[in-house]
Amino acid sequence: MTTKLKEVDVVIVGLGWTGGILAKELTEAGLKVVALERGSMRTSENDYALPNIRDELRYVVRHDLMQNTARDTITVRNNPQQDALPMRRLGSFLPGEVVGGSAVHWSGHTWRWTDMEFKVRSNYEERYGKKFIPEDMTIQDWGITYAELEPYYDKFEYTAAVSGKAGNLGGKIQQGGNPFEAPRAREYPLPPLTPILASEMFSDAARNAGYHPFPRPSANASQSYTNPDGSKFGACQYCGYCQRFGCEANAKGSPHMTVIPIAMARPNFELRTNSWVTKVLKDSDGKRVTGVTYTNILDGEEFEQPASIVLLCAYAINNVHLMLLSGIGAPYDPVSQKGVIGKNYCYQTGASATLFFEGKYFNPFMNAGGSNDTIDDFNANWAFDRTPHEFVGGYVVAGGFNTPLPIGYRPVPSGTPQWGSEWKRATAKWYQTAMVINASGSVMANRYNCFDLDPTYRNAFGLPLMRMTFDYKANEHKMGIHAAATINTIAKSMNPTKLNPASARTDPWTVVPYQSTHNTGGTIMGTNSRDSAVNKYLQSWDCHNLFVVGANVFPHNSAYNPTGPVGALAYWTADAIKNRYLKNPGPLVNA
Amino acid sequence: MIRKKLAAAALLLALSLVTTARAEGDAKRGEVRFQECAACHKLEAGANEVGPSLHGIFSRKAGELPDFRYSPAMKRSGVGWTPETLDKYLADPQAFIPANRMPYAGLSNASDRADLIAYLQKATQ
Repeated sequence: MTTKLKEVDVVIVGLGWTGGILAKELTEAGLKVVALERGSMRTSENDYALPNIRDELRYVVRHDLMQNTARDTITVRNNPQQDALPMRRLGSFLPGEVVGGSAVHWSGHTWRWTDMEFKVRSNYEERYGKKFIPEDMTIQDWGITYAELEPYYDKFEYTAAVSGKAGNLGGKIQQGGNPFEAPRAREYPLPPLTPILASEMFSDAARNAGYHPFPRPSANASQSYTNPDGSKFGACQYCGYCQRFGCEANAKGSPHMTVIPIAMARPNFELRTNSWVTKVLKDSDGKRVTGVTYTNILDGEEFEQPASIVLLCAYAINNVHLMLLSGIGAPYDPVSQKGVIGKNYCYQTGASATLFFEGKYFNPFMNAGGSNDTIDDFNANWAFDRTPHEFVGGYVVAGGFNTPLPIGYRPVPSGTPQWGSEWKRATAKWYQTAMVINASGSVMANRYNCFDLDPTYRNAFGLPLMRMTFDYKANEHKMGIHAAATINTIAKSMNPTKLNPASARTDPWTVVPYQSTHNTGGTIMGTNSRDSAVNKYLQSWDCHNLFVVGANVFPHNSAYNPTGPVGALAYWTADAIKNRYLKNPGPLVNA
Repeated sequence: MIRKKLAAAALLLALSLVTTARAEGDAKRGEVRFQECAACHKLEAGANEVGPSLHGIFSRKAGELPDFRYSPAMKRSGVGWTPETLDKYLADPQAFIPANRMPYAGLSNASDRADLIAYLQKATQ
């Protein structure tokens, strides 16, 4: 039996960065907002304080803050010829499942994606010709511009306490920043983090090679900070427990200590945790949604929550799943290439080298989530000629560490036995003296990389799992070769005692090991309802009172981490709802 | 009652003696310094967050609030909070009370500490 609740103005599905931002913004506008979060309540004081948070076994190995795959997961295959199997344990990516979502356990890397991404097809066609883009590469322009998003990037950076150095202020290139970034109106809210030795060594080598290293912009507060909403940040303590942990010092920009408590203090907001949304309900004419159905996972009771506006703000993959389960929009078919829901799933690629320096002491257990200096010479640098390398997209290269924890981070030179006394000697010898240089690369959309509902496997609610079909294509393989060569050139110039060189990845993608929690696409944004699921305001083309917010709207994936545009688009959508949709409910763009 | 007043007067006297012994702090500047603490510590009584409320700190011993989970090190320390002990603690928290759980590396500048303590003396009453 389903209990029908009283209608509210807005129901938000999932309370991480996007849900938190929209909850704060829309309660400010006076709307009655209910947020449904499938995870439990977690707070800095109860859950992320010392000493309990520094528990690698609990948080990294056992995924305490992440999706429980015994309840719901995805099935996975590399191509449509294979049978997909359920991913029974998290590995390659780690969706969050608590109040605050994945933004509790992220590292804080915050980039501004530019028109290079938003106009990807136009740009490449104009410079390299139509033939340069492979026929099965389904990249398309996003229908939004950097200029439109700039104020919203700014808003997100100032909310999340991003530390960094501007490389381009109003068109003027700034010393020490990323010279390839798009023009920004003002500096970052905070100066860059203190560099670590490994990162400084990488920067020197990259500079000597003619590249342009800069401190990676990250939502790790380099100083104590009060954001424009009054949320208070402590200074990052370089504790080493960043990625996959909540911050013990309230120094990492996260929604549970910024936008969510602000919404929660308002009488017109209600949060219901342990609330699992199973369906978005459509009106009889199919032009509007009327609310959602959800189950309280503690007692199994089912509720219908009617709402005038529905916002899907879950993890990217789960937003797409909910659209497919609810039958909103036409499901995408990779054979006929008709339909849109599930289209253009993308991921990221990369390459990595480990450098060993006898006599150096890197103290790898001490760092911030964003301590690594980075070069953008092969990504946002449009002057980098892709012609001889024959790939679309790019990659960034960084040097240093990212949360090198004692269980998981055991660098030893290749050839070392994987266990036994010799391994023990090697790990003791090299732990302090190794550093990493890695590349993170874009993945361009391909017609065969997509989501649909699995025909066989079901979740704890009896609903079909979502099926992911994904593999790297020739474009990514070629980029990987280029990235590995760049890394190895820089690495060799540093004269390490030993080097585990980077190699391009050409084997099929698998669900292990961890790669990145940067899954994009599935309900992509665009200029028309034929090619995309939502318009530039993330509003469903099919149901005008439904907005689908998150990296699921990205038509392809870039080399950068996705949270910058995810946060900016949440603010952008909030403004569109407050200033335009509420005055005149209906499609904000004509289909 | 009289005893309490006497004790308070003695404490005030002690405080003023200590204050003159250390560098004179500027409470106004100290309020700005307090931003370093404010993400975890509140000044209102009973407002325990990541760190314990600082209300009434100068009449407390370390690890004394019943509804905050202190580290064993803090509880065992036996430190009574005075401007002097707080100054030592803030200069290098792990050196003064080893194995305490405050995730803060310390405030190395002595006059910054004096400012902060001057502010706390006003704001925690």
